[in-house]
Amino acid sequence: MPVSLNYVVKRTVWALLVIIGVIVFSYIFLYLAPGDPAYIWAGRPRGVNATIAIMNARRELGLDKPLPVQILLFIKNVFTGNMGVSIEYKQPVSVIIWRGLTATLELLIIAYLIGVSLGVLLGIYSALKRNTRLDHGLQVLAITLANAPSFWLAIGLIVALAYLTGFTGYGRVDTRLAIATGFRPITGFYLLDSLIEGNIPVFIDVLLRILPPAIIVATYPLGLGIRMARALIAETLGEEYVKAAIAWGVKRRTVIWRYAFKGTIPSLTQVLGLAFAYSLVDAMIVEIVFGREGLGSLAYHIIGKSDFPLVIGLMITVTAFYIIVNTLADILQAMIDPRVRL
Amino acid sequence: MVLNSEPVVETRDLSIGYLDEYDRVWWVVIGVNLRINEGETYCIVGESGCGKSTLGNALIGILPPYAETRGIIRIMGEEIVRDDKHCYWKSRGRIVSYIPQNPGKALHPFMTIHVQFKHLYRARGLRLDDRGVAEKASRILELVGLDPDEVLDSYPHELSGGMQQRAAIAMAVSTGAKIIVADEPTSSLDANLRLQILKLLRKIKEELGITLIMITHDLVQASKNCERIGVMYAGRIVEEAPVKEIFRNPQHPYTQLLLETVPVLGVVKELKTIPGEPPRPGEYPPGCPFHPRCPFRIDKCSREEPVLRKINGKHYVSCWLR
Amino acid sequence: MTIEKSRMQKRIRGIKELFSRAWKRRPVFRAGVVIALTLLFMAILGPFIAPYPSEGWGIPPATSRGAQPPSPEHPFGTDAAGRDILSRILIGAGMALFQIAVVVSVSLAIGLLVGSVAAYYGGVMEKILNYFTETFMAFPAIIVALALNSLFGRGLMVVLLSLIITWWSWYARIAYVNARSTREMEYVLLAELSGLPRYRILFRHILPNISTPVIVQAITDTGSVLLEAASINFLGLGLPTDYPDWGVLVQNGFNYIYSYPWISLIPGAFILVAALGLSMLGDSLREEMDPRLRRRWRLWF
Repeated sequence: MPVSLNYVVKRTVWALLVIIGVIVFSYIFLYLAPGDPAYIWAGRPRGVNATIAIMNARRELGLDKPLPVQILLFIKNVFTGNMGVSIEYKQPVSVIIWRGLTATLELLIIAYLIGVSLGVLLGIYSALKRNTRLDHGLQVLAITLANAPSFWLAIGLIVALAYLTGFTGYGRVDTRLAIATGFRPITGFYLLDSLIEGNIPVFIDVLLRILPPAIIVATYPLGLGIRMARALIAETLGEEYVKAAIAWGVKRRTVIWRYAFKGTIPSLTQVLGLAFAYSLVDAMIVEIVFGREGLGSLAYHIIGKSDFPLVIGLMITVTAFYIIVNTLADILQAMIDPRVRL
Repeated sequence: MVLNSEPVVETRDLSIGYLDEYDRVWWVVIGVNLRINEGETYCIVGESGCGKSTLGNALIGILPPYAETRGIIRIMGEEIVRDDKHCYWKSRGRIVSYIPQNPGKALHPFMTIHVQFKHLYRARGLRLDDRGVAEKASRILELVGLDPDEVLDSYPHELSGGMQQRAAIAMAVSTGAKIIVADEPTSSLDANLRLQILKLLRKIKEELGITLIMITHDLVQASKNCERIGVMYAGRIVEEAPVKEIFRNPQHPYTQLLLETVPVLGVVKELKTIPGEPPRPGEYPPGCPFHPRCPFRIDKCSREEPVLRKINGKHYVSCWLR
Repeated sequence: MTIEKSRMQKRIRGIKELFSRAWKRRPVFRAGVVIALTLLFMAILGPFIAPYPSEGWGIPPATSRGAQPPSPEHPFGTDAAGRDILSRILIGAGMALFQIAVVVSVSLAIGLLVGSVAAYYGGVMEKILNYFTETFMAFPAIIVALALNSLFGRGLMVVLLSLIITWWSWYARIAYVNARSTREMEYVLLAELSGLPRYRILFRHILPNISTPVIVQAITDTGSVLLEAASINFLGLGLPTDYPDWGVLVQNGFNYIYSYPWISLIPGAFILVAALGLSMLGDSLREEMDPRLRRRWRLWF
């Protein structure tokens, strides 16, 4: 590996620092909110048990201690996976979130597999056919896809599919089919699980249910892929090394793929990594519209219900996901580019 | 020098211009006639922006898509057609090769030297396995004075500037082309490396029987390696002669002034500079392009453009005073 | 100077020149301008030209007509409470522009200041400000809106605050990157040597020089801000149910997508077109700033 350990360590430490910053900010958020933090943390309880719930919250947050100690305690709790108990679901926040995260990630990964591969291919094609009608058409398509509100596209697709095929059953898997075939999630990624178990009917069912939402989530990476790949290829085609390769008689296809495209991979990794992290929220919204389980539905059900521990848990999870993916993309980029030796 | 043979590189009234975003053409090379014989080293000398690199790119066949050309280029007696639809020239890299100005940028940063050689051999239609590539490349790398074991598996950025240039020369030679255009091959290097690279070029040229076209801004360098020099100014060849003739008997005022800027070892003299600035590419003055800076100009210079005329033997100059 | 004028590639200096060049040369930019101006007209004239203004503001009609499909009387149909969708959309345009304007201008101000101060002052200040910038870049607006919503309930402030909290950091980053290269410029050094106070240099030399790229980015972002705000409102985190906001309008129809799909689909189309137009504006400006993509091109090798 051309990347030194030093760079990886430095990048990781920085990411950890930023995650800690996010946690501290979340706590301060709770602290600055009007009203008693313990009261909010306990879910604004009423009635007989209210006093006990607030007392418990007070102890859990360490509110009798000075603020810095409270924050440290909170950070420690988050890193040990103890983010409190959801008021709405009456289960530990970390457990609920983990269950939702696998569902959302599955959707996101499928969407990116579709969106990125297609987008990058079309983008390269567009760059090679620059300033033709086809290129202009692809650019318009790309900018439209990147700007379409995903919740609206999702509604449109649901309506269209309902009219065309009459299909309205969304969700992750047909429960009756799952029970009938004895499907049991292992990792939480149902596509993977059904393959591991060799349960083909469930695999097909899960795939069919995941495709429509995945197509909607894929619109953003598709549009971005087209635009980024086009711009980056156009740039590397003007590089000196491409010129030299052409002058030395290297074939066109090799020049395009082995020279020009290869030169864009690090930047593409970084940009698309950022987009991947960013799209988690997009996937959550699409989940809500399609009524799939996942982080999105989790969040949607607690709107207006003052389940503060779960809200903070979600905030930290989604933000940490963003930071981790971004850091990984940076490290990956550095690994691909042999010049980076920080 | 074989006089009666066909020149390997010939251009006739070659003009090259670049289209700008408003579809105007900015001509940077104007009516150049070159005749370069087999095994010769021809040097194109000129200040930056005089169109010498563009001329070189035209000979290699790597003009950018927004370039316009007029006139004829003949290489090995065959006329090159710049086909709009498809390829500029199919034998690019097989007959004419290229030594880049900045080897640090011309070698792909993400591929080892070995892989880059592999692509070059593939381009020639050689299907070699990794060992075959290594063997073949090693021979050339040794020829250019590099240690194959050290270089082959390195990435370009791990090599020093001189090593990069040697590697680039090796690649240029490995294409098997017999004509090589070297665009300022030493301008990105230190002074002592320059001499080494120039020596290397001479050695390679003699060993492999290559016709070398050097493009440089440095008359001293030109004198070290070349047989004939074409002095370029504002897109035109203003004087062309064998090296000795140029140094002994320069005819064009520009050449004379250029020579006075060159320091000569052991001679104490005042180094001069040429007054004024070279014209920007594509904005050449009318008449003789040099007349705004020429100390000997006459009225005619600003009105009519002189043509390249034979003075004696192989000495040509375009000046109204000769 | 004639030579300067006829350079083959001109450097683009001010935002004004950038606009006029883009207008002359880019159809995409012209389309964007048309859409943005239409949006502006809708926002200004909406309350006056809306056929049913009170319904547009969210008050149900006295005699409920229920959800009606598009008809000559109601070109976009009516929603479940019988309100004319066209009127709601027209009045919603102002709401959309208002949210965009507040979010972008406030985040722009914060971002420019933080970024340029970090770049110019350097040292510990740079480290701390960059750390803050990076931390806030990680927060997604919708999640912050969820948190704000659980503390304060629904409201305009939730939308604006959550977007500002998450958006300023991006401008700070761009401002920082640009200001750092400006800091090394000679005229800044000269100004420093001449003993000008640092805040004066910051305001007189650094900020004007980095404003063009940052403003172009801000124009590009207006489309994204609209999308994010619409998402927040669609999820029911921001504006209340009867508000004339496009996101809220889509939400209103969400429960009826199988029976009355137009309630959601038509306002959503307006979000798409508006966001698209605004992005086209910014994108074509950015391409105009970047000379690499201006070259003519065809596959030539």
